Amino acid sequence: MMKTGIPALDDHLHGGIPRGKSLVYYAYPGVECNVFGMQTMYRAVSEGGRGIYVTSSTDPRMIRDQFAEFGWDAAEYGDRFVIVDGFSGLVGANSSEQYVVSTPDDADSLTQAIKQVMEDMDEPSVIVFESLSTIMDLCGESATLDAIEEWNQYAMLYDHVIVYNFTAWPYSEDTLAHVKGDICNSVVLIGGIVEKVIFSQYFGVKKTDWDEVTKKCTLYKVLKPGGVRVYLPKILVTGPFDAGKSTFVHALSTRSVSVDRLGTTVALDYGHVDHKGFTADIFGTPGQERFDPIVKLLSGEAMGIFLILDSTNTGDFVRAKRMLEITESMGLPVVIVANKQDLEGALTPEEIRRELDMAHDAPIIPVVATSREGVFEAFDVLVDRVMEAGSI
Amino acid sequence: MTYNLGISKIDELIGDIKGGTNIMMIGPPMSGKDDITNIIAYHGLINKNAAVIVSTREPGTNVLDWFESRDLSIPSEHIGIVDCVTRTLGFGAPDTENIKMASSPVDLTGIGVKISQFFERFWMEMQMKETRLCINSLSTILMYSNLQTVFRFLHVFTGRVKAANALGVYVIEDGMHDDKTIVTLKQLFDGMIEIREKDDGYQMRATGFASKPTPWFDYEIDGVNIILRG
Repeated sequence: MMKTGIPALDDHLHGGIPRGKSLVYYAYPGVECNVFGMQTMYRAVSEGGRGIYVTSSTDPRMIRDQFAEFGWDAAEYGDRFVIVDGFSGLVGANSSEQYVVSTPDDADSLTQAIKQVMEDMDEPSVIVFESLSTIMDLCGESATLDAIEEWNQYAMLYDHVIVYNFTAWPYSEDTLAHVKGDICNSVVLIGGIVEKVIFSQYFGVKKTDWDEVTKKCTLYKVLKPGGVRVYLPKILVTGPFDAGKSTFVHALSTRSVSVDRLGTTVALDYGHVDHKGFTADIFGTPGQERFDPIVKLLSGEAMGIFLILDSTNTGDFVRAKRMLEITESMGLPVVIVANKQDLEGALTPEEIRRELDMAHDAPIIPVVATSREGVFEAFDVLVDRVMEAGSI
Repeated sequence: MTYNLGISKIDELIGDIKGGTNIMMIGPPMSGKDDITNIIAYHGLINKNAAVIVSTREPGTNVLDWFESRDLSIPSEHIGIVDCVTRTLGFGAPDTENIKMASSPVDLTGIGVKISQFFERFWMEMQMKETRLCINSLSTILMYSNLQTVFRFLHVFTGRVKAANALGVYVIEDGMHDDKTIVTLKQLFDGMIEIREKDDGYQMRATGFASKPTPWFDYEIDGVNIILRG
């Protein structure tokens, strides 16, 4: 299996892309797509494999810079990072690349270069097409569809994985149906949530022919550096007064801010997490009862909840359960953070489970927020739960 | 939601332009289309509109300089430039707050993504609901991509302008394309600003906004003003 470099997508694909198979990243216009192919290419070369990048609309000198913007240093991988230059010929520029397409608007010329590079690779490699739609624009829809079949067959012969970035401009219905349907072994849809403008982006596997499809759409953001990151727009952190919510938010976040007075939160804590391929915005509530209306307000559209407990203070556990009710979080993934485990008298997670009368599989994570101990374990568990719940 | 061009007599004659309108500006070389496009964007900026400018002939920094050299008081954070030039010159310039780099005029996918990103920023982050999109120029894009490809691209983005109640202005060089190209592209637009050469100068008029075109006006560009005569 070749990994795509996007862990959540690899999970949806049941481990990645098998050798000899093809995958198309099928994107709606205006949605960032090329980074998917780039990330797959980077993953291949950074794991010691070979990657071949077929450029159609970018000067090859700029390709390595584009990778660098995401924090991926192509130069580090030497001749394992190969570019097929299908751009210079288009603008009449000279090329210093080893593989050059002499006539980029001719599918046969492109096929010749692609076949040559596939033959030359001495091990199964990943071939990424920067923009299949540009090739289609230059060579025509029918000729490109024929060429894709030929490239895919050739890749299968040599056990290469072939990946296309495709923007679904309004081509003929037949063409779009082919690209989205039967021409590749797998299709990953990349779309945008639109209300007047595209304000959020998602991906989801539409088809694989090597396993059952996991039907899930996953929100993502593109970070520079970083690349594609699964995005959780709202994770709520709640719990009784003085349980350590603000400390937890700050411990987890790469950047954060609190609205507080005299050391206690009076409006909210806000933090942004970037961890293991996931990015999330975290909202912490106040804990005092007089702020309960704010808790309810903040909890709208949350995708998962951290309930923070002071493990030494059983007297507040009833209040903690009450706060979960206020958030109207029924059915949402909840992780209980058993904070202050370093203090004398702290209950163990199992003791807390009994006190709260929680189900045996309800996750209770021991944490010391002041030293960040257990903080990211709690985040990992909540992300897993959110992903399992299919709520993104 | 309505817009004005910032060209006084023409604005008076055509009235308010409703949100979602796409306008083709066509005129001969050297007739000041770059300035006119920027002035339309500028007029929006001073009225709290955002401006997204796709530049296919000038590096983004030059476009930004145009605004800054004429009026330092305009909020530069309300300007978004999609630069299709710098990277084709072999400069690996990174994106900045105002300028996002497309790989080349061939990279319609990249251009589309950058336009969408600016729209998202202005709408969602800055709560600016009135945006002007200026593509200067379609002629450069047509040099690298065929008519059908450009038509598809415009079909999508004129639709996005409509959906966002924005104002779209798309520049085309007169005399550079065959009639079929112009007729095909015209279908996508709601109105036109036409420019023609006359005697020693140029004239402009607006068509498609009212039952009949405005008269032709001689014009002169003075800083951020277009002075019409006649």
